[in-house]
Amino acid sequence: MSRVAGGDADALGELYDHYGRVVFGLIYRMLGSPESAEEVAQNAFHSVWRQARAYRPERGSVRTWLLAIARNAAIDWQRSKGNRMGRETAIDETLMLVDERRVEDTVIASLRAQRVRAAVASLPREQREVLSLAFWSGLSQTEIASRTGAPLGTVKSRVRLGMARLREWLGDDEVRR
Amino acid sequence: MTLHPTDDLGALALGALDAEEARVVRAHVAGCESCGVELRALQEAAFAVAETAERDAPDRLRTKIVERARREGAPRRATSSFSGLFRRPVPLAIPLALAVLLAISLATYAGAQRDRDRYASALSGIAGARVIALAPTGEVPGVRGSLVIPVSGAAPYLILDLPAAPSGKTWEAWILRGETPLAAGITNDRGVTTLVLTAPLVSGDGVAVTLEPSGGVDRVTGAPVLAGKT
Repeated sequence: MSRVAGGDADALGELYDHYGRVVFGLIYRMLGSPESAEEVAQNAFHSVWRQARAYRPERGSVRTWLLAIARNAAIDWQRSKGNRMGRETAIDETLMLVDERRVEDTVIASLRAQRVRAAVASLPREQREVLSLAFWSGLSQTEIASRTGAPLGTVKSRVRLGMARLREWLGDDEVRR
Repeated sequence: MTLHPTDDLGALALGALDAEEARVVRAHVAGCESCGVELRALQEAAFAVAETAERDAPDRLRTKIVERARREGAPRRATSSFSGLFRRPVPLAIPLALAVLLAISLATYAGAQRDRDRYASALSGIAGARVIALAPTGEVPGVRGSLVIPVSGAAPYLILDLPAAPSGKTWEAWILRGETPLAAGITNDRGVTTLVLTAPLVSGDGVAVTLEPSGGVDRVTGAPVLAGKT
């Protein structure tokens, strides 16, 4: 990151080599279109280039910082395009993805991804649903309550319990790079 | 006894809090080390979920990204905060009362030039945010500035109206908390511009703008030209 912040474009390329697949995959999942994902991923890395000097390692990993930029770029793109269809597709794909039956069937390249899948799949379905709607679709707890018909307090409880479980499984140094 | 918003940290990490809730929780976290540690762990966990979506991108994407960076040149000094990224972008509502108050105050402040004043236009376009005018210190004539704190929880920023910085100098923003000012971003723009602060503000912080050597510095060397308090 320090080389990127210093204006080394080759270092940005190396950052892409390291995180490009997960950034592109995240955006693709949210937008449901390879063309849109390519455009937004390019914009996200451009934001990383411009904001590199704002990165503070004590506030989180490079991966999380970069993915947060990518997710925001995807949500902004959805809003600017009014692209609800892509968002709905992403939700359905995500819910299918984390279904228990898929965990063992899916070919996963990395052990980290397997671990994440297992952690998500271990959550009760109602917790997976609210986390998916929040993470992949950018919905607030209030919006999730409205969409699912569940009381707001129930949604908040599911988010809290689901995140606590994920944090227990994934929120340690093993998931950081 | 301090009450910690423990139950809301997971939702904040997911970007699932409503704007006002997020602002309140983020303000607490900015001054609470234990909640900050917990939030960072939750954010790592939340974004680990993205691992499940890994996918090959077109080969041309890497080339596009690197070539665009080369064309643009070295990145500017920090213009965005980390914590501000963990937001849920939402359209800002337009509070009529704020717009009216701004219009009245700016009409007085901008005087005869108000109709063509880009600074006033920039401020009057703000909605869903707390706006704090920064006071000119008299060090540099004609400078103006306001601190904007979005209620959405997005990063605070300055709207500035500045003359061109002298050769070898740049404008630098500072957050004043305790005895050591925190560098909070630079700009070489002249005229009306915005500058996103690079660190979260907490209630009671001061904000100042100084002239510093090009590229910015980590410790204040120049006298404040604008100053205000949250």
